[in-house]
Amino acid sequence: MKKQYVFKKVLQSLVTIFFVIIFNYFLFRIMPGNPLAMIMRNPRASAEAIERTKELFGLGQPWYMQFFIYLGNLIQGDLGLSFIHKTPVVEVVWSRIMPTIIMVGLAQILSIVVGILMGVISAWKRGTKVDVIALSFSLITYSVPTFWLGIILIAVFSIGLRLFPTSGMLTPGKTFYDTLNMLKDYASHLFLPVLTLSLVLIGEYALTMRNTLLDVLTEDYMTTAKAKGFDDNYIIKKHAIPNAMLPMITLIAINMGLIIGGTIQIETIFSWPGLGRLMYEALNGRDYPLLQGIFLLITISVILANLIADITYSYLDPRVKS
Amino acid sequence: MKTKRKIVIMLTIIMVLSMFQTNVFGSQTEEPDAMRIGVTVEIDSLSPLISYSQIGYEVFMLLYDPLISVDDNLEPVANLAKDWTLNDDQTEWTFNLRDDVKWHDGEPFTSADVVFTYDMLLGNDLGMYSGYLGGIIEVTAPDDYTVIVKTESPKANMLQNSCPILPEHIWKDVNPDDYMTWPNEQPIGTGAFKFSELKQGEYLKLVANDDYFLGRPGIDDLIFVLYANTDTMAQSIKLGEIDAATNFSPSQLDSLQTEAGIEAISAVVLGFTELSFNAWDDPSSKANPLLNDIVVRHAIELSIDKQSILDIVYSGQGSVGTSLIPPEGFYHYEPSADELRDFNIDKANQILEEAGYIDLDGDGIRQDSDGTPLEFIFTLRADNTDEVKAGQMIAGSAAEAGIKLNIETVDDGLLIDKIYSGDFDMFIWGWGTDLDPTTILNVMTTSQIGNMSDSNYSNERYDQLFIEQQTIMDPVERQKVVWEMQQILYEEAPYIILFYDNSLQAVNTAKWTGWKRIPEEGGYFFNLTNYNYLNVQPVSDTAPAEPGSNTALYVIAAVVAVAVVFMFNRRKKAK
Repeated sequence: MKKQYVFKKVLQSLVTIFFVIIFNYFLFRIMPGNPLAMIMRNPRASAEAIERTKELFGLGQPWYMQFFIYLGNLIQGDLGLSFIHKTPVVEVVWSRIMPTIIMVGLAQILSIVVGILMGVISAWKRGTKVDVIALSFSLITYSVPTFWLGIILIAVFSIGLRLFPTSGMLTPGKTFYDTLNMLKDYASHLFLPVLTLSLVLIGEYALTMRNTLLDVLTEDYMTTAKAKGFDDNYIIKKHAIPNAMLPMITLIAINMGLIIGGTIQIETIFSWPGLGRLMYEALNGRDYPLLQGIFLLITISVILANLIADITYSYLDPRVKS
Repeated sequence: MKTKRKIVIMLTIIMVLSMFQTNVFGSQTEEPDAMRIGVTVEIDSLSPLISYSQIGYEVFMLLYDPLISVDDNLEPVANLAKDWTLNDDQTEWTFNLRDDVKWHDGEPFTSADVVFTYDMLLGNDLGMYSGYLGGIIEVTAPDDYTVIVKTESPKANMLQNSCPILPEHIWKDVNPDDYMTWPNEQPIGTGAFKFSELKQGEYLKLVANDDYFLGRPGIDDLIFVLYANTDTMAQSIKLGEIDAATNFSPSQLDSLQTEAGIEAISAVVLGFTELSFNAWDDPSSKANPLLNDIVVRHAIELSIDKQSILDIVYSGQGSVGTSLIPPEGFYHYEPSADELRDFNIDKANQILEEAGYIDLDGDGIRQDSDGTPLEFIFTLRADNTDEVKAGQMIAGSAAEAGIKLNIETVDDGLLIDKIYSGDFDMFIWGWGTDLDPTTILNVMTTSQIGNMSDSNYSNERYDQLFIEQQTIMDPVERQKVVWEMQQILYEEAPYIILFYDNSLQAVNTAKWTGWKRIPEEGGYFFNLTNYNYLNVQPVSDTAPAEPGSNTALYVIAAVVAVAVVFMFNRRKKAK
């Protein structure tokens, strides 16, 4: 039964990915803008040079041929040549994956842990000072503009306290004589972007956790548990949280899937070399192959995260299986 | 179980803390004098055949050398060519090359490299440099250190040819079909700096060429650091994370100017911001045909208060524009008082009235005799908030002359597409220009319609003069022709030159000395010369310690430790 369920979910995911590939391909091609002009950017180009370029980037073929060539190459793991960088898309994207995952991933983990903890405390101590403080904190950080928060944190930590560098991933052009020094440099650059993003995300997790937990706490079985004489800690841990976790799993799955997309705002404030900025550049430059590559990656990771969430559900909630 | 966990936690904390101890292995090597320059645009390619960016031009000027470069007065000066002669009918140039130049990989530089580079560019028309070679018909090398360049007719801008010479021994192995994509990942040049590394999205690092034939630069490592926003960049230069930067906003410049040890300037650069009309009178033009009437274009210009826009939107950084070539250039034409169309709403209304554009239905918009209103689509680039603000002010004042401008904001890609297909009325964008006027004058020639032209302008007399000016060797004679061309453009107004641009730059004068603005009102960088890169020296050789980076990590470590202890305690309580 369970095997069948997992198999069905995997199959569904694969079908979704396939349709997204097709959709992406045509989505970018109906966008206005002439890719050839962006590739060449050479007003003096001869007709011959234009022809050669068309050929090289596969723009000379009719659209349906271009599509089948794209599909064929995709199966072989070839995502084509980036129009802007003139290098394979796979290489361009690969160089940005690790910085993105590390920065956004760390911030996500941090905010999930802190957010859930805050949500639980808030819900349990509902109406007390602790709840008011935690709730205001969540609402403020959730609604504060990311860019503004980043600049404020730079003002405090970089300019005021001189603790952390303002931007970048490593001190540019510095030669590191040992790995420890490099890690140290990396960590000090990582601190502010992670802190900013965590602060922005904590609110979302805390508010969701608080709300769902409050719902659960009003259920009859909570009263039953109390009547049975269990202590508060036990009730929260064994009865309330597991039931409140279901919506959280969905939220976490969606956000985890989006890690790969990076966050354009954070990357822009701290000049972090992530995928978000790359995507923006690709969009502005009408770099279809690069855009497709990034979108494909995001699609796959979102679908994968959802698949994992679905399977996790089947373990957490016996009702899902049937 | 319990104690084991405790020990593990303790060990982890100790390990983390010890990680932050610097120089565990005690090897303190002397730091090189690194100059970090903040930039906002990344180099698009390391191959001069593919790159089209300003930062590319700047970097290739450091990695490679041309035959002739420009000195700090922007005059031609010997570089790879030590001297040159021109034959009597002015169509054959002989360049005598230096015989002491080596490529970064140790190979000797010879005339074969020059012939190879020029032939390659002439045969391919690729990149931003091939245009400089226009008019050359043959390049030969009678011996290892002589190059003869034959031209169709006299070539006025031969000495302004900044085309970098590339090494034949590297590029000959590249299949010509691959020029469009060959990345040139490890550029080998003759220039003052050698390539070290390019980190996409982060920085580009160059290192001093110890054997540079014009003398080793005072900078050991030259690093162009990419910033995704200028607010952070302004803070970085104050903190000393970078030593110089360009592309600040006016408000950032103000705050940098009060900073000790930093020199922040508003530098005159060769370039302008223009309002371009679709002046195409061809039946297939998709523009509003009323724009073909010069009176309408004049009335729009008369209704623009350029000085106010410059003051309000650009904080006065720049100067009010008139003709095509910026005033810093020798070829700039200044319209006479009669010709000049200064801000004057009354006059705008008057000339429209005289030309028969009258608001008959009283809706505030003038109409021509057929009743077609003076209503146009005004396209602005969404990314450039300054241009959008300027456009809004222009639309506001044009309304006072009875002209309605409907603003639409689009991204660059879409605007380029509109320009290429001729489907626009008017837009705002800009150009950067060269020392030599040929490239920017060419933009307005008929042959560039559907190509480099972004106003679809055509004028027979102008086209004729364009060809003529390329062949006049006497600058004063040539200036007369170039002036006449600009006079035609100003009168017919396919462009309204709104402003001549300034570049806002800042440098650290506490750590580095010898900075020079080129020309006098110009910038430290992006000024067509590599003077500052070659001549700036570190103030002293004592490298300052990096402030606070250790403290920072102790803070992180402390936070981690507290968190761990907290978690640990909670667990204990729970039991």
